[in-house]
Amino acid sequence: MTGSLRDSLEATFRDVVVAPPGDDRLSVSAPADSIPAVLRYLREKSFDHLALISCVDWIERGRLEIVYLLACYMRNDTDYLSEQKLHVFVRTEIPREEAALHSVIGVFGNAEPYEREIHELYGVHFHGHPRLIPLFLEREYEVPPFRKDFDTRRYVEQTFGSIPPVEG
Amino acid sequence: MDRNQIGKWLRSPAKMANKYSLHAVYFCTGCGIIEIPPVITARWDAERFGVLPVATPRQGNLFMITGYVSLKTLKAIIRTYEQMPDPKYTVGFGSCPVNGGMYWDSYNTIKHLDRYIPVDGWIAGCMPRPEAVFVGVTHLWTLIDKGKADGYLRYRRNYAAYRRNQEMLFGELEWPALHPCGSAAGGETQ
Repeated sequence: MTGSLRDSLEATFRDVVVAPPGDDRLSVSAPADSIPAVLRYLREKSFDHLALISCVDWIERGRLEIVYLLACYMRNDTDYLSEQKLHVFVRTEIPREEAALHSVIGVFGNAEPYEREIHELYGVHFHGHPRLIPLFLEREYEVPPFRKDFDTRRYVEQTFGSIPPVEG
Repeated sequence: MDRNQIGKWLRSPAKMANKYSLHAVYFCTGCGIIEIPPVITARWDAERFGVLPVATPRQGNLFMITGYVSLKTLKAIIRTYEQMPDPKYTVGFGSCPVNGGMYWDSYNTIKHLDRYIPVDGWIAGCMPRPEAVFVGVTHLWTLIDKGKADGYLRYRRNYAAYRRNQEMLFGELEWPALHPCGSAAGGETQ
């Protein structure tokens, strides 16, 4: 069954690479431009649950990898087709410098906080995001703190080490 | 009532009343707050020690910082602390407010709570047991007796220094100064 989803994806999108499925997961690599279209297609294929969006910093290659994890909600366990039990990972790579991507809020509304989080922690800009403001952080960081070239120790020393004790 | 304490009650009734009615602001930071529900409910029953949780800072006089303090939480802590009426007592609970604990290298967690608000006592541990809270409370009683739990007075006295430290982290703060900052920008003991 997993073969059919794989075939239909590859038939619909020319530039999508689907890895051979593992035990219960399917890895789909797509160029950044076609991500909203791929996600919309998968949503119509009943993968209607965006579980999370994550980001990986491949500093040696100078790339950031954004991963969308999709799953499928059914009311009863017996309603699932076997291929709908898959977890689908949709991956895309963007350059580290001037990292930007199209927002997928139009496809999955719950992408909003994930994209904000990736924006503040990895410095990825999402085109079309309605409010790309920090989610957790209070300060401005020169390098986004989850990138691998962010020197945590030096930052902590400079920021918190420079604050003097008030008494004693 | 303990007969030995009658003298204390007559000498300083206000102090004794404060001491035995510590109302803790139910403010949750970090993981330490998980120890507070058992402390205040039937299993350990903090009311034996006169400690009750209250809903708003304006009703409380005991502020327990329970766990790591991120920058965003620190802002809320400062505002909560400044809203509490005097006299007020702050207790750092767990090792993270003492020195950052396991978050020493974290980019978003403060390391020393007492550089931003005054702290009257610490309960070390990760996590401290509920019994440790009661040991802390009885120590706090002793400090109040001796007049050493004077965090709110120190905050007033050294407000310029505290405010400067807060502004070093946050830049301009969006609320006005609680006390006049005066000209002694370095604080008293600097």
